[in-house]
Amino acid sequence: MPIEITMPRLSDTMEEGTLLHWHKQVGDVVSSGDVLADIETDKATMELQSFDDGIFSEILVQEGEKVEVGKVIALLSEEVESSDSQASPPNSSSPSQQEEHTGMTISPVARRLADEYGVDIRTIQGSGPSGRVIKRDILQVVDTTKETSAAAATTKPAELLQPIVSEPEVVATSQPIVPVGDWRENRSEPLSNMRQVIAKRLVESKQTIPHYQVTMSFDMDPLLDMRKTLNKQLAPSGVKLSVNDFLVRCCALAMSEHPAFNASFGGDCIYYHGPVNVGIAIALPEEKGGGLVVGSIRDADQKSLRAISQESARLGNKARDKGLSVEEMSDTTFTISNLGMFGVEHFTAIINPPNSAILAVGAAVEKPVVRDGELVVGHELSATLSLDHRVIDGAMAARYLKTLKDLIENPAALLV
Amino acid sequence: MSERIIEFRDALCEAMSEEMRDDQKVFLLGEEVAQYNGAYKISKGMLDEFGPRRVIDTPISESGFSGMAIGAAMRGLRPIVEFMSWSFSLVAADPILNNAAKMLYMSGGQFGCPIVFRGNDGAGGQLGSTHSWCVESLYANVPGLKMAIPYDAYDAKGMLKTAIRDDNPVFFLESERLLSTTGHVPQEDYTVPFGQAFVRRQGTDCTLISFGRPLHFCFEAAEELAKEGIDCEIIDGRTIRPLDIDTMVKSVKKTNACVVVDQSWSFASIGSEVASQIHRYCFDDLDNFVHRVHSDDVPTPYASNLEQAYLPNTRKICEAVRSATYNT
Repeated sequence: MPIEITMPRLSDTMEEGTLLHWHKQVGDVVSSGDVLADIETDKATMELQSFDDGIFSEILVQEGEKVEVGKVIALLSEEVESSDSQASPPNSSSPSQQEEHTGMTISPVARRLADEYGVDIRTIQGSGPSGRVIKRDILQVVDTTKETSAAAATTKPAELLQPIVSEPEVVATSQPIVPVGDWRENRSEPLSNMRQVIAKRLVESKQTIPHYQVTMSFDMDPLLDMRKTLNKQLAPSGVKLSVNDFLVRCCALAMSEHPAFNASFGGDCIYYHGPVNVGIAIALPEEKGGGLVVGSIRDADQKSLRAISQESARLGNKARDKGLSVEEMSDTTFTISNLGMFGVEHFTAIINPPNSAILAVGAAVEKPVVRDGELVVGHELSATLSLDHRVIDGAMAARYLKTLKDLIENPAALLV
Repeated sequence: MSERIIEFRDALCEAMSEEMRDDQKVFLLGEEVAQYNGAYKISKGMLDEFGPRRVIDTPISESGFSGMAIGAAMRGLRPIVEFMSWSFSLVAADPILNNAAKMLYMSGGQFGCPIVFRGNDGAGGQLGSTHSWCVESLYANVPGLKMAIPYDAYDAKGMLKTAIRDDNPVFFLESERLLSTTGHVPQEDYTVPFGQAFVRRQGTDCTLISFGRPLHFCFEAAEELAKEGIDCEIIDGRTIRPLDIDTMVKSVKKTNACVVVDQSWSFASIGSEVASQIHRYCFDDLDNFVHRVHSDDVPTPYASNLEQAYLPNTRKICEAVRSATYNT
């Protein structure tokens, strides 16, 4: 009996995974614990390890294919059967041929219709017996595509521009300001795994959580002065504290006074979490497909500024480089999203469930401020909390921001 | 033109009588066909009209009178042989299969065999396993013969006339269960040509193909399935040899699903032949394999309830269609 290797569920939200790379080839001896493949889940790239010993006998999912959790992706034969595989040598047919003949069944008419309508059958989960793709499945895809393209057609920008362009003098005199390139063509691109998850989770968040926002400005001069001093002292050891590192610590410390900010709405109860794990939103490079992930700085209230800074830098680099593991992204209880480095002064963020709050941080900007009755130039930072009103009321939010303000404007407390 | 509603059995009688009036070479023979007016009253009044030389009562010896009729056909007459039941034709297998069907070939074209063998085929209702034969799968296997199975009175008359005028041996399979059904039969002369299937119900979701009595079950099933939103197209094949596969293929190309309903046993049957051809000609149009509904693979039971359960009944057809259309 061959052992079936299935697409594992590697995170709570994972529904399908992409097989990035097979580490084993057909015929390889596999021992328990060997890495078989790299799997891209909704947000991370993970290694798939074997739980069994045997011969890697058949690959059912090719590199680059996306399949549902639980689907058989490869077969491992017990070693006794290896003699058989010598009688019939390992399948050396081309990947496309294997794709044709393994892992999916499709009714003849469904295959014909897929060809006619240009439907990619690999993206379809069949509704027939044993997942056979049948006529109905193809027609559903065709119908959905028709609806989407019809909707797109009605809002085509070209049509909106039509009246202006049709004015004779404009047509006669205007030269294209920018050469028309491919980028001006209407086009659609399939969603990446990550974009699908972002779309699903944020719609869910915005639609189910009663959001409201509270904004406060902070005098940043004391904190910036201290940061300057500390960075000068720490420079030899390679540590460079960012404003965000300070904010992580401030937020975490403020949690202990305001446990509702370290809580989740549970339907008929409110969960108060023990550990304070502050999530930091990390934007991924657009050339790598973009998107964002939230790295988790665990026990942020117990960590020094230096430890927070190192962890934050490590998470940021790894996220941009090869992606975070599920462990590195899970269990956050509060999230900070900072666009200050882009010069953004103020924005609001969508809560990252199951958190109850997210802090949207702008830049520390130079402003005229009144200090001791005199008008001077100071640095001010505006931050906006988005809150789940089911857990946190307005006055509670104001009190939390007050605590945060005390910490930011009297930063010596962060050192002890 | 007003409707003329008559029974299936009377349509058969009209076909034979009209052909006998038109053609002196046509005559009828069989058990009880003359003085008793036919075991099923199909030849009622024919002895009176045509006399004992052309409506002949035979001894209970199918092998004997079949062979005699084949000899008459070889010499230029056009006999109609009535089997009280096709079950009884088994004892005449040698003359009807070995002689009638092969005569033209074996005589090098010297002797043809323009003959009609007709009678009741299939379960008539508590006749037991030896008298409930469906011979279509057995006999249709033989080259050189034609086989027709009418479903209603109109086809019964039109197809029997075609059979009588055909220069080849025609196996004409009637059903005792259909003899009392009624339908419109025009006064004027007409024939129904062989090899032309008839789409008896238009539908979009599944093609039901059948012959003769099981069509009745198909109609019942189609009504039940319509309530579930499954729209069946029903094709009456009318003749098994020749088989109008074109009409069937055209329908399956539209519905992408097919169920063949055949009262024979399933193994090496009409159903398996039709399914095989549909698979061949509609391969890229099928959403599922061709499903088949047959009589169960046992001798026909005598008990009424068991006989009903054994037949290719409405329940079996509904299940097959649901499965073929993925509506289980």
